[in-house]
Amino acid sequence: MSGHTDTSPRVDPPPGPEPQSSGARRAASRAGVLLRRREARIAYAFILPYVTLFLIFRVVPAVGSVALSFADYSLAGQFSWVGLDHYERLGGDPLFVEALRVTAVYTVIAVPLVVVGSLVMALLIRRPSRGTKVFRSIFFLPVMTSLVFAGVIWRWIYSDNGALNAMLEGIGLSSVPWLSNELLVLPVLASVATWARFGFDMLIFLAALMSVPVELEEAARVDGASWWQVFRYVVLPHLRPALFFVVVIETVHSFQVFDVIYVMTAGGPVRSSSTLVFMLYQRGFEYFEFGYAAAIGVVLFAITLVVAIVQGRFFGRSRT
Amino acid sequence: MTVTESGTGGAGGSAGGGVPGGGADSLDAAPARPPRAGLPQVARYAALTVAAVATGFPFYAMMVIALKPPTAVIELPGSLWPWPLTLETLETALAGGEIARWALNSVIYSVGSMVIIVVLSSLAGYAFAKKRFVGRDAIFWSIIAMMMIPYHLTLVPLFILVSQAGGINSYWGLIVPTLANVHALFLMRQFIMGIPDEMIDAARVDGAGELRIYWSLVLPLVRPIVATVGLFMFLWHWNDFLWPLVVGQSEQMRTLTVGVAGLRQQETLLPLEMAGVALAFLPIMAVYLVAQRHFLQAAMMSGMKG
Repeated sequence: MSGHTDTSPRVDPPPGPEPQSSGARRAASRAGVLLRRREARIAYAFILPYVTLFLIFRVVPAVGSVALSFADYSLAGQFSWVGLDHYERLGGDPLFVEALRVTAVYTVIAVPLVVVGSLVMALLIRRPSRGTKVFRSIFFLPVMTSLVFAGVIWRWIYSDNGALNAMLEGIGLSSVPWLSNELLVLPVLASVATWARFGFDMLIFLAALMSVPVELEEAARVDGASWWQVFRYVVLPHLRPALFFVVVIETVHSFQVFDVIYVMTAGGPVRSSSTLVFMLYQRGFEYFEFGYAAAIGVVLFAITLVVAIVQGRFFGRSRT
Repeated sequence: MTVTESGTGGAGGSAGGGVPGGGADSLDAAPARPPRAGLPQVARYAALTVAAVATGFPFYAMMVIALKPPTAVIELPGSLWPWPLTLETLETALAGGEIARWALNSVIYSVGSMVIIVVLSSLAGYAFAKKRFVGRDAIFWSIIAMMMIPYHLTLVPLFILVSQAGGINSYWGLIVPTLANVHALFLMRQFIMGIPDEMIDAARVDGAGELRIYWSLVLPLVRPIVATVGLFMFLWHWNDFLWPLVVGQSEQMRTLTVGVAGLRQQETLLPLEMAGVALAFLPIMAVYLVAQRHFLQAAMMSGMKG
């Protein structure tokens, strides 16, 4: 890996041309120009490995994705332009329309769930007292867990003879087909995503809560404001930037949900949990329709962008 | 969602003293006089406890079931008693060779990527922070702007690129495309900007070469961010799923996430499946216990990704 960096020692003769007068180092002397050139050469050598990899593996695929969405390509290497064919096909593809609907419904369930949940937890845990650190550590545990591993456990918990149904039966209720009911599957998946994410959002809210002036809160209370009034008129205004940030990242996350669906439902039952990214994966890597999959990716990107802009408008121009 | 210069909490802090204040630290530095509780203390603790049990239950269930005999029939609630326990299932899972191989792949993928990312991003971050050259800011902010492009958009072309180069089912095909990490670069540059120019100039006057300044001065000064970025990158790669899924197609090249996700197709018994999950999760758990502060910090910083 040091293969990239081994050019710099050579560009680097021991102590350069006398930088002795470092106070007046920007003198427009000949030596200064030489020094500046040498500095630039070294800088380019330092950024070269990173920038090269970035161009090849980030920029080229991003541009390639748009190009590919107007083309057909097979792994054998056959390439042909097809114009807007893929986009036209998307418009009339009931699977795509269904994937759009599933993604939208999932987002509408998951985002409020995790945002409200993490905000409530942040408010509960914000006052440092005995045990808050332990609670914080526990709440953070799922954040570090891959949704693949978590999904395997949750699949069992929600399975027909899993832990949740055993508990329901234990208290005299009948068991529920959580993962095989088309109406229940998205709320179930959203609950798992919420479990996995709320610890992270909670930290963001906790950091934001630090900026709420304690005096202001106490003054409001002394003046007889209720708990809700204090929250609504004193605390919440300070949370606005954090709230915006959390809503945006959770929305982006929901649009791109994949791991947990792959593991827990594989898009089923029928196609009731087949989201856009899941469809992209299937088209691209099960059917090898690369052009079509790329078109789905472009549409996904466009939707994400539009939604982020709309949310930005909604929250005012608050900076994150 | 714009990432501004001041966007990282404490990233611009003085690095001269060592640890620039980060997100997780400031969480502990709570206001001196906490506001009065809106809820009675008891209700607060009750709510927190319920949430903690619900959060922790999956981990508990996983561990207990993984510690049952491989062929144990799981009955509820009886099987959730932490007794009797045996390491037999974990041993069986490891002895199969399959999971050990996946674990090795995961280690290569996450440790390899982590080390190279830290080196590349700190080298480039140092240049972007401290060197003057034509196009510096334009290049840097173009790279940051690319954060807006979701990973999934690039997935298909990236796969084609790597497969044409013969990288499918290879370690380099797995690792190399993930190395130009925007996140790591951004954090490194922000922290290195906090190093006073005088220190670098002084080292240069003392005759230190450029690589030496980077290695013996800059890197030690930004050690906290190196630890945080390293940890975050390790975690991200350890948990990564989609890329290993499309690149590591053969049984031999699967990472733990891909392998464990595929266990169901093989109709694996529940204790064995949970043992696979436990083995995949335990390293994370161990690192978490040791370096929790860095984890919280890494998570806060990952938020800047958007």
